Amino acid sequence: MTIIFNPTQLVIQLPETLQQKTWHKTQNAATPNSRWQTYLNQLTLDAFIPSAKEEQEASVKPWLNSQTLANISELVNGTAIILGDAKVVLIPSEAEDLEELRLPQEWIDIPEWVADYYLAVQVNVDAGFLRIWGYTTHQQVKKQGTYDPIDRTYTLDDTDLITDLNAFWVARELCPEEETQTAVSPIPAISSTQANNLISRLGSTEILVPRLAIPFTLWSALLQNEAWRNSLVEKRRGIERVSVLNWLQEEATNLAAQFGWRQVEFQPSIVGARGDMATAIPHKALAKQLTIGNQLYELKILPIETNTWRFELHSLALGAMIPTGVTLRLLTEDRQSFTGNEHTAISPVEMLDLEVELDPGEGLIWEIEPTPEDYQAEILRF
Amino acid sequence: MIPRQDIVQIFATFIQFEFDRFNNWILDPRLRRSMNKCLDETTQSEVSENFWAIYWHKRWQKQPQGIARDHLLAYLQEVCFWSTKKTLTGFTSTQYSIPDGFQIAISRIDKVLKGFDGDRGFKLKSYASITFSNLIREFLRQRQEIDICSEWSLLRKLSQKRLQESLQNAGLSAEVQKKYILAWNCFKNIYVPERSTSTRRLAKPSPEAWNAIADLYNKQRALQVSAPESAISSETMEKWLLICVKAGRSYLYPDVTSINKPKPGYESGEIADSLIGDIEDSLLSEMIIEEEIQERNQQQTQINQILLSALEKLKSDDQKLLELYYGQKLKQEEIARTLDTQQYNISRKLSRTRKSLLKSLSYSIKENLHISLTSDVLKNISVIIEEWLSSHYHTNQQSGAQTSNDYYI
Repeated sequence: MTIIFNPTQLVIQLPETLQQKTWHKTQNAATPNSRWQTYLNQLTLDAFIPSAKEEQEASVKPWLNSQTLANISELVNGTAIILGDAKVVLIPSEAEDLEELRLPQEWIDIPEWVADYYLAVQVNVDAGFLRIWGYTTHQQVKKQGTYDPIDRTYTLDDTDLITDLNAFWVARELCPEEETQTAVSPIPAISSTQANNLISRLGSTEILVPRLAIPFTLWSALLQNEAWRNSLVEKRRGIERVSVLNWLQEEATNLAAQFGWRQVEFQPSIVGARGDMATAIPHKALAKQLTIGNQLYELKILPIETNTWRFELHSLALGAMIPTGVTLRLLTEDRQSFTGNEHTAISPVEMLDLEVELDPGEGLIWEIEPTPEDYQAEILRF
Repeated sequence: MIPRQDIVQIFATFIQFEFDRFNNWILDPRLRRSMNKCLDETTQSEVSENFWAIYWHKRWQKQPQGIARDHLLAYLQEVCFWSTKKTLTGFTSTQYSIPDGFQIAISRIDKVLKGFDGDRGFKLKSYASITFSNLIREFLRQRQEIDICSEWSLLRKLSQKRLQESLQNAGLSAEVQKKYILAWNCFKNIYVPERSTSTRRLAKPSPEAWNAIADLYNKQRALQVSAPESAISSETMEKWLLICVKAGRSYLYPDVTSINKPKPGYESGEIADSLIGDIEDSLLSEMIIEEEIQERNQQQTQINQILLSALEKLKSDDQKLLELYYGQKLKQEEIARTLDTQQYNISRKLSRTRKSLLKSLSYSIKENLHISLTSDVLKNISVIIEEWLSSHYHTNQQSGAQTSNDYYI
């Protein structure tokens, strides 16, 4: 068969091995529909990044780590990369005709998700190619796009897109200062009670398209908190989280492992120092391995006293210190700070630690700056 | 084909086909009256056809449904004919006749008119020539794909906009279109490919899947379709979707016999002259002054020189490639065969070469003409290059798309 393309489009071949590899990565998706969406998005990401590296000199990397992006694809079509200092959203579609670009509202109206450029991508898995057939800017979407309330998309006609992909590369090179974004209003936050109600409601795969099941303001407020977003995806995939205390029980080894946590032996000296509590608390702690700037670290959670927990970050490299500027931070599940919630290394230190008192059932989000490569925002329940 | 000479004819006649060939020019009396009236109003004796093309295009922008569109339809007949002929030549399959391709291209005229920017000094004809060729190529490709798809695969390969246009084409009311589009969305949500590399031969959904699709529709219908109706069955769902399939297919194979049918009132001249519309004196005189200014403008020569020297600096391989593609109009696949490589490589190489020209020209425009670059400006520069390459390598074609390289950014 002759495949005819217009010379201004960027056509990328999809080797079958890449397709198979990508397909395997997407098998844990919640529904057949979200698996297919995740597959197309992952394929677009995997094929576009090497091609973009060939095309220009600026650095190219995914916007977020691959698991976080895959979690987004579970809920919303589209994936994103960082190209030099610009954010680029890629929107894959199976449509053979190139009549329109349909952009999910999330990529246009959630402040943290807004990008500079939006690329229209056709994916044909049978013929094994991916075709970037047009692009536009956030500003243009806001100016020319038509909002469709039924599927909450901004649509642009093909004639409104810039169909020469070379114009995109040249724009990045010759006018990187080009104004691309329009300001969007912040999304009002929701309470953690509200969020947890929504998560348990939308967590059912009976609701096939959760993004359209509740009003956009609520939906986007839920989505913009990465930990809630991940909780929703876990719930839809049928993965249940239990409390950290449960994870510490002997038989719960596997439960914790699916979230990257493992049980480790408690340091008895610390327990000793606290005296009589030793018998009341299990002699186990949780540990998670992390990579920050090519160095291995370990984050530990230790039960100190009843309802008191200690977080410790230390390097796994022999004798290595935590460099200046690294911050360990704890947040409430609606991302609020509290007194004594962070510890920054002012000079190289052996360990960063935080101690918190928590009510049973209370949730916490931990984060580290700079963000570890494989970081997944999660809510730990105590 | 007999080329049209007279300026009134150029803006008032349409091609008539006989079987596969050009037969004659058919005059539309209403358009003739309209053109004559315009000519009476202009004091200048010699006004070029491109001037009128730009004039009608500007009128079209103000009134997309008015008579201007018909004048432009008449004007672009030849370009469309030659673009179709060139694009189809060498295409092996016999199922694509020239009237067929012509009809597809000319029915997309709004894409040409919408994409064209009269203020940039492009020739509407050259822009149309490039756009028509691209549209026909794209259509051929879509047909190839759709022809080998099962009904159920085809549904996944339509954009919502195309589906809606197809349903509209099939004469369905807006309310029915809305229902079918919702049904189609439900289908796409439920009936998902299960293998990573094959989506062209999807089998008919199972009875369970049909039930699930109908269920989803019945749940969402209340929220989206305005008039409340009773729930639909899985049989109805299947029937609806098959109508969508049929509409989608016919869209790619429009009825050719309809081209030559005159629109009501055209031939008899029964539509009064008063409906032709007033000539916009201010627009006309404004454009005449502008044309004089543009004649003094030196931009075009500069652009021509920049591109010529950029072309000379290219590697001989790349120059050869451009020559094959734009000069000899070889298809990428033929070039690949000539140069013993993959079509993907040719496509990529062509794209790289065009990129280097785009970069050179954009850089010069920024530095020498002091125009600040944005994506929109680059879009225009890209069109200039495409046009310039076509005309630079222009070799004795019969195409009406003569360019004289007067570009403005």
